[in-house]
Amino acid sequence: MPESALRVAVVCSSNQNRSMETHSILSKKGFCVRSFGTGTHVKLPGPSPDKPNIYDFKTTYEQMYHDLESKDKELYTQNGILHMLERNRRLKPRPERFQCCSDHFDVIVTCEERVYDQVVEELHARDEITSQSVHVINADIQDNHEDATLGAFLICEICQCIQYMDDIDDEMDELLQDFEDHCGKPLLHTVCFY
Amino acid sequence: MMGDLRRLCLASQYYQDEEVSATSDVSTSDRVVELINNAALMTFEGKKVYLLQQVQELILNKEPALLDNFLDEMIAFQNDRFLEVRKFVIGFIEEACKVDNELLPKLMANLNLLLNDDNVNVRKKAILSFTQLYRVTIQWLAKMRKLTEEQESGWEILCRVKEDITNLLDSENDGVRTHSIKFLEMLIIVLTPRPSDPEVPRRPETDLDLDRISNEHPILDPEKLREDGRQAMDRLLSFMGHPAISSINLTAALGSLASIARQRPVFMAQVVQAYEILHANLPPTLAKSQVSSVRKNLKLHLLTLLRLSAAAEFQSQVTTLLYDLGCTAPEIARSTGMARDVRKRQRDDTDSTTKKGRFDDDEKDVESSGALLPLVGKSSTKPTNQLAIDITAEAFVPLLTPANVAKLVLLNMVFLPDTMPASFQASYTPIESAGTEAQIQHLARIMATQLTAANLGPGFEFIKQKASEDTEKAEQLEKAELEKGDMTPQGISVLDSCSVVITSGVGAAETGQSGLVVKEEEKIVSNRKLPEPIVPGTGSASVSGRRRVFRLSDVLKPLPVVRLKQLSEGAMKRIIMNKAPHAGHNSTQVRVELLARIAARFGGVAEQLVLEAVLGDKQGQSDLAFAWLYQNYHAAMGSTAPAGAAYDSYDMCLTTLLVGLESKPDQNEGLFSRLLLEAPKITSNALDIVRRVCEDEAHMSVGMSTLTELTLRRPQQQLQFLQVLLELSTLERDKVRSRAIVFVKRVYEKEELKCFIEEFALTALQNLVHPNPPNSGVGEDQDTEVAASWTEEGIKQCLFLFLALLPLNHRLIHELAAVYTEAIADIKRTVLRVLEPPIRGMGMGSPELLLLVENCPKGAETMVTRSLHILTEKVPPSPDLVSRVRDLYHKRVPDVRFLIPVLTGLEKKEVIEALPRLIKLNPIVVKEVFNRLLGTHHGEGGISLSPLTPGELLIALHNIDSARCDMKSIIKATSLCFAERGIYTSEVLAVVMQQLMEQNPLPVLLMRTVIQSLSMYPRLSAFIMNILQRLILKQVWKYPKVWEGFIKCCQRTKPQSYQVLLQLPPAQLVGVFEKCPELRFPLLHHVVALTPQQQNHIPKSILVVLEAGKLPTEEVETEVKPQPEAQSVQEVSVRAPAPDTGTKLWLEPEIWENEGIQDDSANGQEADGPVPDTASEQAVPVGNCEAEEEKKPEEEKSAEVDDKSQ
Repeated sequence: MPESALRVAVVCSSNQNRSMETHSILSKKGFCVRSFGTGTHVKLPGPSPDKPNIYDFKTTYEQMYHDLESKDKELYTQNGILHMLERNRRLKPRPERFQCCSDHFDVIVTCEERVYDQVVEELHARDEITSQSVHVINADIQDNHEDATLGAFLICEICQCIQYMDDIDDEMDELLQDFEDHCGKPLLHTVCFY
Repeated sequence: MMGDLRRLCLASQYYQDEEVSATSDVSTSDRVVELINNAALMTFEGKKVYLLQQVQELILNKEPALLDNFLDEMIAFQNDRFLEVRKFVIGFIEEACKVDNELLPKLMANLNLLLNDDNVNVRKKAILSFTQLYRVTIQWLAKMRKLTEEQESGWEILCRVKEDITNLLDSENDGVRTHSIKFLEMLIIVLTPRPSDPEVPRRPETDLDLDRISNEHPILDPEKLREDGRQAMDRLLSFMGHPAISSINLTAALGSLASIARQRPVFMAQVVQAYEILHANLPPTLAKSQVSSVRKNLKLHLLTLLRLSAAAEFQSQVTTLLYDLGCTAPEIARSTGMARDVRKRQRDDTDSTTKKGRFDDDEKDVESSGALLPLVGKSSTKPTNQLAIDITAEAFVPLLTPANVAKLVLLNMVFLPDTMPASFQASYTPIESAGTEAQIQHLARIMATQLTAANLGPGFEFIKQKASEDTEKAEQLEKAELEKGDMTPQGISVLDSCSVVITSGVGAAETGQSGLVVKEEEKIVSNRKLPEPIVPGTGSASVSGRRRVFRLSDVLKPLPVVRLKQLSEGAMKRIIMNKAPHAGHNSTQVRVELLARIAARFGGVAEQLVLEAVLGDKQGQSDLAFAWLYQNYHAAMGSTAPAGAAYDSYDMCLTTLLVGLESKPDQNEGLFSRLLLEAPKITSNALDIVRRVCEDEAHMSVGMSTLTELTLRRPQQQLQFLQVLLELSTLERDKVRSRAIVFVKRVYEKEELKCFIEEFALTALQNLVHPNPPNSGVGEDQDTEVAASWTEEGIKQCLFLFLALLPLNHRLIHELAAVYTEAIADIKRTVLRVLEPPIRGMGMGSPELLLLVENCPKGAETMVTRSLHILTEKVPPSPDLVSRVRDLYHKRVPDVRFLIPVLTGLEKKEVIEALPRLIKLNPIVVKEVFNRLLGTHHGEGGISLSPLTPGELLIALHNIDSARCDMKSIIKATSLCFAERGIYTSEVLAVVMQQLMEQNPLPVLLMRTVIQSLSMYPRLSAFIMNILQRLILKQVWKYPKVWEGFIKCCQRTKPQSYQVLLQLPPAQLVGVFEKCPELRFPLLHHVVALTPQQQNHIPKSILVVLEAGKLPTEEVETEVKPQPEAQSVQEVSVRAPAPDTGTKLWLEPEIWENEGIQDDSANGQEADGPVPDTASEQAVPVGNCEAEEEKKPEEEKSAEVDDKSQ
């Protein structure tokens, strides 16, 4: 793998559905990708909307899987949660929190405006040392399986375009404008520095 | 994932390293050497970088002592072709410098080099590294007391790099600009002292205590550094105000400002104001989503600011902004929580004190917090602006009553755009605190910001007045200084006129620009519904009246014109005279430039002087000539006048120079052509001069070679030049024309010009089609006589160029043929006359020529024939040519003349077939034919190549059917043969006669040939006797012509012929005597003189015939009697064909000859007699021949008459 391979991070709230779906697709395409959540906890749907399953970021996907399997296997199979956890645990052991990761990326893609705000705020709050730039891009994705898949493909497409750029800083603006027209969604974009 | 992997790799590498060093004795140094070597040979980008990373780890972290040893090797990779390797080197340099500061000055240059790399990613990386290293360097240097030279130069480089990177704000690349912004941020932070405020984060790596740098520091001047920091801030702010800034740049700049505000609170006011301005003036180029991104950023930064106690005094502004950005009160409250108390106090402040007062507070605050202030007000524009905004806003607050505002809104409804702009839509939020004091103040501030930006409003007035006062003071100072100075006014009045023009021009441009800006601003104002109808009087007009500019021209009086002229002329002359390069080479250069410029700009006397200088000393002054010329050209190019007028002065200059050079041609030929070749443009006047030179026979070579060079070297005007050259090549004057043609041929080698040249030549040629020469001939106006007839010169004029091209392009021959067929006879003649060189140039092998022969257009036969002649004159015709001519002759134009040139190429049969026609042609042509056939023109090899041997030719002539050709022509033809004594030797003739005689029937001209041979070679007589005898056997008397000749021959050859006569049958002998009575007596006498034995051989009947004369008969009878076996004539004639008798007859005369007449050549084959004989032999036949020829016509006539009668 060349040194210059694009370092991508995908961030959603709980590092379960949207970011993991994208993580899965991007890593299949050979990207150097990591995924994160920005929430304080990891939330998974429960038996009713007001009773979500809440874990902390230390819990592994494996543990969550077994926990939910034991709680209501049928429900969680039917709403695809188990299947999702199954996929996630094959990708990495446990969810990661963005705020706890000090690694540097070239591009950070967020899946929700709130997440975008958190990421940008976090990056600004850090002390700047190297002045290395990172592009933060937000593409709104609804938190369900179908939209997660569609959104993942969109993000994958964007990343593929970015990968072939000679000069990511110079061409990013134009690319995102094109993608906005293409997908009809507004894409937020900013540059932060490490 | 990648990061993980890499970390893993590195980690395992260390592990490995430890293992290696533990298990083997390989030193780190050796290991580094190996790695570097491997890296140098590595061809995979990633692996190469990986190897180098290991080296970096080893020499920076593991054994820093090795760094020095391997530094150069590592730096050497900076020219690597791999992008990543170069980027790595940048990173390495950065790390190395951090580890060992001493390396900084050394590596600065390398890094600077990489800053200018071709690849933008490398450049960006370099900017990043500089951002780090600038800080490191300045901290390091600050500790120094004394500096080495290297360190100083390193600092110099860094300062330059600083400028460069700052200027990269204008780069075309978005990313580069972003990095440049970050660099500025670092500059601002590093170069601004850290306040003592405990709230400001302390970051030892960035903090530089400027105060600690002593004023005696060798290169670092704290004051200067602070100034740099402030300038950087201004730069950043003005960059942010750029209307077309990209969203990324804007985001980056916003972030930088936030970071600056946090770390260096002195700039808080500026930052908040910048945010304010930005919020009111979002760049119109941003797309909708970009607007929301930027606003999000802005919000984030403002919220961050709110948390800082340093921003407490701006809290109201910031909060209003935040409300505008859609923040909710709780959100704001959360951020301000920590600074609530401060804010409260501040609120009271704003309520009670005026803005002006607040500004003063600001000043105090700033003053107390840092040593910055004295300069803020003076040198940077932002605080002044702020002051203006404050003043204006203050003036507005009381005016913004609800009634006024309503009016304003209504008034400006008409300016609203039809559709809502994206930025407005995105940014619009309902105004929460409408009508409150704070909101009114905010509104006033926004309006004030806009107005100040548009240079309007009371605040701006105030500032401007202050500024003009300042400038006036400065001017007064300047004036005083000027008066002190010792410049001479005269000098200035002459020299300075142009600089005055320039400055005023620049001034105009500036005002134009600012006018534009004003308009734009106004537009924005109207868009935002915030124009300013209430503000009293705008004062921009009054300013110029107040400002008195010092003008030198007001103080000085102009010199009288005459004096001016004298002075300037004198100055010019001195410059011209002073050509010795005393102060080194440079002064000559300057002098030439100066002269050229003066001459070009002022013309007149100056021009004259320069011209004289150039012409006077062409060697030394060619530089001057060129400089002058180029100066003029430059002026012409730069001028906005219409193209024609612009070149006038250039044209003048060029022509004057050329005319000048032309008038002294002998010395200046080199410069003349150089000038033309190197002049930026050749005007038509210049071209006329060239043409004139070309027409001058003495100098035409120079002119034409220059013209040719111009044609070849200047594609733009080449057709123009070529036209002139071509016109020259059709001039009437012989020398000029032929010379020009030579040059045209040279140009003709250029493929792209061929067509043009051919066309021209063809046009010229086509003139020949007309019966009279065209009035305005081929570029020749001398033929003005109406309906003048073609002169030979005129024809050549049109023809020569074309002919010259023929050998170069054989295809043209067809055009020539076409014109030829239509031309009048005079022209045809001339064409035929001049055709030789081109045709010869084309050669026999030319396919086009062959094609012409094959097609032979009607009317061009003569030309084709002529061409054929020319081709075959020196060399035998090629089979190809022969076959085409043969085809032509047989199939299309049965004119035998075609065959003449290729005769030698034809077959024997064909030649013989054509002979009758050939010899009927006019005598000169016939002669030519024979020359060819006999090979007399072709030299040595010729004869062997001829299809006919001379003998065969002669025989063929004899065998021509008289029905196909009159005898006269044949006779003429044979006599042509005889004229070639060198070829028709006695031997040849003998063979011919022998063969002719054996033919049956005998050829009519046989005896004529025999007689002629005899007269040419008397020694053939014996052989001829033999012939005669054999003719008797062939009953020669049956052929009247031959018989006649026989008798004549006998007459001529007496006495030898007596023997022959005696062999005739009596009846024929009688016939002989009838025709030639004078023969009888001598014959009888001869017989009588014979020995009796001999007499016995003579038949009686013969004797009877002999004696029928007056001689005594007894003798004869006695002589006759002894011959017993008298044969009848019939018998003899019957026996004659028999071979044995033939031989007998052949032998008999020999016997007689031996006894009787002494002949030197009894045997024809046994060549030469004594010398005197041959001489006489030669002398006689010549006379004979002539006589014969004179006689011949009569003979022939009679022969012909006879023929006809028969």
